[in-house]
Amino acid sequence: MPATSASIRRARALLGTFVEIDVADRPGGDAESAVDTAFAAVADVHRLMSFHDAESDVSRLNLMASRGAVTVHPWTYAVLEMALDMAHHSNGAFDIGVAGVRRPLAGQSSPGFDSIELLADHRVRFGDPGVKIDLGGIAKGFAVDCAIDALRSCGVRSAMVNAGGDLATFGGGARLVHIRDPRSPDRLLCQVAVSDGALASSARRFDPFRSAETTATAVVDPSTRLPAHAALGATVRAPTCMVADALTKIIMIAPQSALSQLARYGASALLVAPNGDILRTADWQGDLQHAA
Amino acid sequence: MNNWLKWTAPAAAIVSAAAPAYALQYMSVEEAQKAAFPGASFAEVQTGRVWKASNGGYFYYDHVVGKHLLIDYTVAIGPDGRVHRVDILNYRESYGGEVHDPNWLGQFVGKGSQSELRINSDIRNISGATLSSTHLTEGVKKVLTYHASHFR
Repeated sequence: MPATSASIRRARALLGTFVEIDVADRPGGDAESAVDTAFAAVADVHRLMSFHDAESDVSRLNLMASRGAVTVHPWTYAVLEMALDMAHHSNGAFDIGVAGVRRPLAGQSSPGFDSIELLADHRVRFGDPGVKIDLGGIAKGFAVDCAIDALRSCGVRSAMVNAGGDLATFGGGARLVHIRDPRSPDRLLCQVAVSDGALASSARRFDPFRSAETTATAVVDPSTRLPAHAALGATVRAPTCMVADALTKIIMIAPQSALSQLARYGASALLVAPNGDILRTADWQGDLQHAA
Repeated sequence: MNNWLKWTAPAAAIVSAAAPAYALQYMSVEEAQKAAFPGASFAEVQTGRVWKASNGGYFYYDHVVGKHLLIDYTVAIGPDGRVHRVDILNYRESYGGEVHDPNWLGQFVGKGSQSELRINSDIRNISGATLSSTHLTEGVKKVLTYHASHFR
């Protein structure tokens, strides 16, 4: 696609990572203001769904929803709906409701997603005072989807939003995305062409500012509250980034039961097993990186 | 679709490729100034580092550098002394020592977002382990502390 003068690429630190917006085609208009609008949407999601910000919907729910219904922003409500759908169909492998308990007691079931009640008019109630939610496993993907919506409504015809590897794109043909090798993130595992869809990855944490080595994964297995160890890393391609983001977590925790969830959402995936094997779903499309 | 399939590829391809240097340029200092305070003029207070804007705000150019990562960023501080806007100008990640090599870094000086990028321009988008942006947040805090002690 030929470059136009309204083609820009911008980056900001949001959601605890680097968020990049690349507008390739904004005919005759102000690409800069479209990008600003999209970053503002990401910042709004951050403000509503941060676990640490005392003013966020998440913090208000954690403080008050076990005592009575709390009204949340429609965006927060939409994320909760998707999170509960994911939880039900993954038998709790994906559970936003376990942030309040450090370790489950042996032989005792602890409160989780099934105590979260979604009521009319964007109201939410927790049926158990022990429930605390954390939307960290899904909100980043939702923020990407919101940024994409914002760009579309500003008249942008082709763009990509990449929030620390959770990304979505529309228009303008395929864009090439390189996947870091979860075993050694200074290396690339494969490349994938993404067009009009989303891609998200989960792996161990990594900060090239300090080291080329990874630290433990941020994905916690709800049944043990320990870091997930069923996979070293997972990448999911799905119609929306929220779905892709959440599905990577299910793969990291329960790869076998994740397969039916991937099919349910029209998603395909790649995972690196603990023994180093690279596994994929039958419909995964990508190219393994050839060794240099 | 009921099973994970082992991804079989030519044996050599299973060894992943090194990503020696990944560099992206987003904005020039001038572009960032214009985006932060549109229509304002900027008077240099410290060469290449601090500007005073005609609207009463201040504009800082700084970088954070770590083991394999260097980020140039700007902080626009409003007339009220609060952070108005933070922009990332350059992001450079490398594993062969380039981040501390003046020759490699020199290629980026004075380049704007429309400049042609010649280093690994085939790597434009990356997914995988999520990078932390804590160090940049710490950098912005340091700029604010500096600003409070020098210009307020």
